[in-house]
Amino acid sequence: MEDAPTIAAWLTPGRTQTAAGEERFRQLYQATSRPLWGYLHHATGRPHVADDLLQETWCKFLLHPIPQMDEAQTRSYLFRIATNLLHNRSRSRDDAALEEPTECTAESDEATRLDVQSAMRQLKPRERQLLWLAYVEGMSHAEIAAVTGLGAMSIRILLYRARQKASQILRPQRTEP
Amino acid sequence: MKNTGCEHEQFVLRALHTGQWTQPLRRHAAQCPDCTQALQLAEALRRQAHHADRLCTPPDPYWILQRSRRQARQLTLRRVSRLLAAMRTLAAVYAVAVAAWLLRGYAALQFREVASTLPGTSSGYALIGAALAAACALAGLWPILHQSPRP
Repeated sequence: MEDAPTIAAWLTPGRTQTAAGEERFRQLYQATSRPLWGYLHHATGRPHVADDLLQETWCKFLLHPIPQMDEAQTRSYLFRIATNLLHNRSRSRDDAALEEPTECTAESDEATRLDVQSAMRQLKPRERQLLWLAYVEGMSHAEIAAVTGLGAMSIRILLYRARQKASQILRPQRTEP
Repeated sequence: MKNTGCEHEQFVLRALHTGQWTQPLRRHAAQCPDCTQALQLAEALRRQAHHADRLCTPPDPYWILQRSRRQARQLTLRRVSRLLAAMRTLAAVYAVAVAAWLLRGYAALQFREVASTLPGTSSGYALIGAALAAACALAGLWPILHQSPRP
């Protein structure tokens, strides 16, 4: 098991210059880059945008590390940076750009998965983020509040509404023959 | 009217994520319509996540480190150039103040008395020299005062 308080401490600008610091960074990167990319991809719907935002998230993390964080807090901090970058992006560009469907690959023949994908496109970016953090990342309401900057008390209501909306969009599609 | 969902939902989702189910929680999830709906959506989203994971090719961490170091250097440079800009402004203010003080002092001199002691050509050369010095000082100040900050 990792020494809890030392992960981010190793990643301060001076420390990453050392081989041990780089190794620590690589371990953390391997453990969190895929979930982060999945979150960014789900929120933006574009793989190349998710790639860019993933790199930017890590760069911001390395520029402003907080040494006292344990592994769970570091993960939460990374998701927070990613969420802020998503908000900055949606503020600086028109939201329609985020609503474009993802490219379909040869493997995407599962009808249910495509139903869910198209249902998610109809949700607001904030709703997609909340659903992903709660249902895929398994974060508690307090953790989601820390990541999104929303009030902890409102997370439950917002999640409930987002789930209801997603279910309503999905229901007619699933009952079709 | 109930409109905020089930209070156990986050524990059900946490159990789904960690695989650590308790019997009462499992029974509750099977009976509660909210939790059942949440579980169905969670499973659908996790399939999405699994699919996205296959598409994901994260860049080599080496490039991330290089990029962050480059950004750190740029940040340091920006901070230093901000300090230099402040010093340049102070220098310009000082130069203008000194020039004003010198001009005032020069004007207070009994110029005619000084000029009368010099031969005609010497006083002409002195005036040309003073004008040239002023022109050089102005030419030097001009780019300092009008240099636009870098983006």
